[in-house]
Amino acid sequence: MTEIYPIGGGKGGVGKSFVVAGLGALIAKWGHNVVVIDLDLGASNLHTLLGMKRPKRGLNRYIDKTVRRLESVAVPTMIPNLFFISSMHCSMEIANLLHAHKLKIISAIQKLPFDYILLDLGTGTNFNTLDFFLTSKEGILIGTPEPTSIENFFRFISAVYFRILKQTLKRSEFHSAVKDAVTEMSSAPAGTHDILKIVSKYHPDKVTDLKNKLSEFKFKLILNQFRKNMDSTLGNKIETVCNRHFHSNFQFLGNIRYDGQIHDAVFSRTLYVHKYPHTQSSSDLKKIAEKITRNRRPTSLPKEIS
Amino acid sequence: MKYFDGLNYYEILKIPENSSFLEIKQAYRDAVSIYGEDSLVTYSLFSTDEREKILKIIETAFLTLIDGNQRAAYDRMLMDSGQSDTKFISGQSQKQSQPVFDPGKAANDDPLAADATKQIQADEEKQLSDEILSKSSVSGNDLKKLREALGVEIHEIHSLTRISVSVLNAIEENRLESLPPDTYLRNFLKLYAEVLQIDPLKIVDGYFKHISMVQNTD
Ligand SMILES: Nc1ncnc2c1ncn2[C@@H]1O[C@H](COP(=O)(O)OP(=O)(O)OP(=O)(O)O)[C@@H](O)[C@H]1O
Ligand SMILES: [Mg+2]
Repeated sequence: MTEIYPIGGGKGGVGKSFVVAGLGALIAKWGHNVVVIDLDLGASNLHTLLGMKRPKRGLNRYIDKTVRRLESVAVPTMIPNLFFISSMHCSMEIANLLHAHKLKIISAIQKLPFDYILLDLGTGTNFNTLDFFLTSKEGILIGTPEPTSIENFFRFISAVYFRILKQTLKRSEFHSAVKDAVTEMSSAPAGTHDILKIVSKYHPDKVTDLKNKLSEFKFKLILNQFRKNMDSTLGNKIETVCNRHFHSNFQFLGNIRYDGQIHDAVFSRTLYVHKYPHTQSSSDLKKIAEKITRNRRPTSLPKEIS
Repeated sequence: MKYFDGLNYYEILKIPENSSFLEIKQAYRDAVSIYGEDSLVTYSLFSTDEREKILKIIETAFLTLIDGNQRAAYDRMLMDSGQSDTKFISGQSQKQSQPVFDPGKAANDDPLAADATKQIQADEEKQLSDEILSKSSVSGNDLKKLREALGVEIHEIHSLTRISVSVLNAIEENRLESLPPDTYLRNFLKLYAEVLQIDPLKIVDGYFKHISMVQNTD
């Protein structure tokens, strides 16, 4: 069984790409076949965090049909079992991604023959980013323990809900008043509530279905760049609040400690968890990776154990 | 966004229906730290209006459950309306043991993921209660120190146990002349200890030992 984890979060620079590289490497070291995919179209930098040079091939070869299968553009990394698909040479920005191309990429990702697929998404809540986030039934949100970043958690969750509602409510059986409401409404946290209210007026029988649809998607949360004297219960509190006031299931995966060496590792183009396996930040990443794999055994034997 | 629709007071405070007085208090503190005005967690999630409504509900839940009579009435209501599967009425079902100081709870190998602040606080409370319980005699001052460390007010003990405030003060201040007869005192100390979730036997014995020591030195 393949598990796909899109990794997003509203704010730029919180560490999405760093976490994708770190988790990918750790899970691969345990013997699973892992691919990390850079879907930050137009601002790709995942290769740097993996300690690699710009790869020559990537997603573009699949979109322009040079290759038939997406896995053909996955390149090996310095970690056995860890592969990488770059979007470096995709000329398009996320905002200009053709609808047909997006659907093609999403369905190809869902068919990739790997144990774990991690998607590095760009900043923001652009609808294409949201659609990539919805490639799976569960996704990981990353933020930092700061007010603005937590605000972005809520904004991102609401935007995901809004996207799901929009996709569902555009179907023909819904009343035009409902459709208008979705087009006009903002994706603020209260928006979902308002839309469900309108739906319950025109289609009282469909409200439960819609709520179920929202609750089908599961969120996992990570707080990165965590500093020593911060409130270590913050993540658990966010989890509590989200489980309570949003429709889905939320799991807080843990804090990742701030470490200045991460910056140095990025500069010297090395894979942090590989070069510094014994730091607090690496051990935090390891605990999170354990929660994600739930100690699942690799399907294939590891080529190298470290 | 959902609010507290359909949740009962126990669910709102995230506590089991047989929670003790101390657990209810702690749950209330936790809830306020999440929903309070200067909470980092929810400041961007709710409008001032929504926050006030939520805090009001939490406060009502707390004030109802913290009061023995109101809680019993509320529990009956839950049972009668089929919202509770508990077979007991509160008071009988409330835990009187020492779960707060469960030593197993104190050990936690994941300080970052764990509720560290709370843990430190619980550790301090446990240390204090261990210290007091390890002494063969327990003074009123010891009891007072422990009560204050747990954030429990005298009048709260009064409303839970119906022991008058003046007697509670006399116990804590070791004023022998104002203490009730031994049989009453024994029972009062037991109730006092139960509210603070410490071993009633040790407290009763320790306190009587303390009294006889004081009397002998006179
Ligand atoms: N735990 C950490 N401790 C210290 N620095 C960190 C940590 N995590 C990330 N960084 C720093 O933050 C920078 C940004 O991280 P990263 O590129 O992973 O963020 P991002 O969320 O992917 O950003 P973008 O939105 O631009 O894609 C990194 O170059 C690294 O130097
Ligand atoms: Mg990035």
